[in-house]
Amino acid sequence: MTSTAPPYVVSRQQAIAIAEADAVPVYGDLDGLTLEVSLADDGWHVDYWVREKRVAGGGPHYVIDARTGAIVSKKYYQ
Amino acid sequence: MDAPSASELQANPAVRAAFEAAWADSLADDPVKRHEEGGYIYGNPDTAEIVIRRAAPGERRKINLSHPPLVPGYFLIATYHTHPNPLSLGWDPEPSEDDRYHANDSGIPWFVISELGVHVVGPERRAGGLSGNPGYPF
Repeated sequence: MTSTAPPYVVSRQQAIAIAEADAVPVYGDLDGLTLEVSLADDGWHVDYWVREKRVAGGGPHYVIDARTGAIVSKKYYQ
Repeated sequence: MDAPSASELQANPAVRAAFEAAWADSLADDPVKRHEEGGYIYGNPDTAEIVIRRAAPGERRKINLSHPPLVPGYFLIATYHTHPNPLSLGWDPEPSEDDRYHANDSGIPWFVISELGVHVVGPERRAGGLSGNPGYPF
């Protein structure tokens, strides 16, 4: 009998939690940012956007390994 | 009449002074008080004069540029704001993707002042020239 490994072991909610644990100490809070999460070949993409019209700013953007939960890349936009 | 281009504005002494003042007021060296500052740049179609108005101070990672005050006889031709959070702490000093999106959507250049210098995003000059809505053209 063979078994197939799941395609990923880090859930969407876990990826968000990993991103927030990194981002909140840097940003103070993530209030007012719009969260977008998607799964791609390189991992979970966890992106926080400023969606207020003509408000200049930025949020953190992450790629999180979907098997290990490691942060593969991150950007702190402002 | 065309509005001044971003490169022409960047060479204007009053504009450069406004950038420097905003940067100083951002308190970039203060890890607790650093915050974004910025404002609005206006052009007069008859005299070619430039005037500048500051926006209310922003927060650590954003500033609201959605309410440019009207200046009689002048048209809004650019905005500017600072990115005071340092590269050494992992922050990206360059314009964010949000900055690029909102600048392109607004129809005027947006200047971003950071430790790396001055960046500009959005159109090269005010869309539609010095006519129409005196605030944002779109």
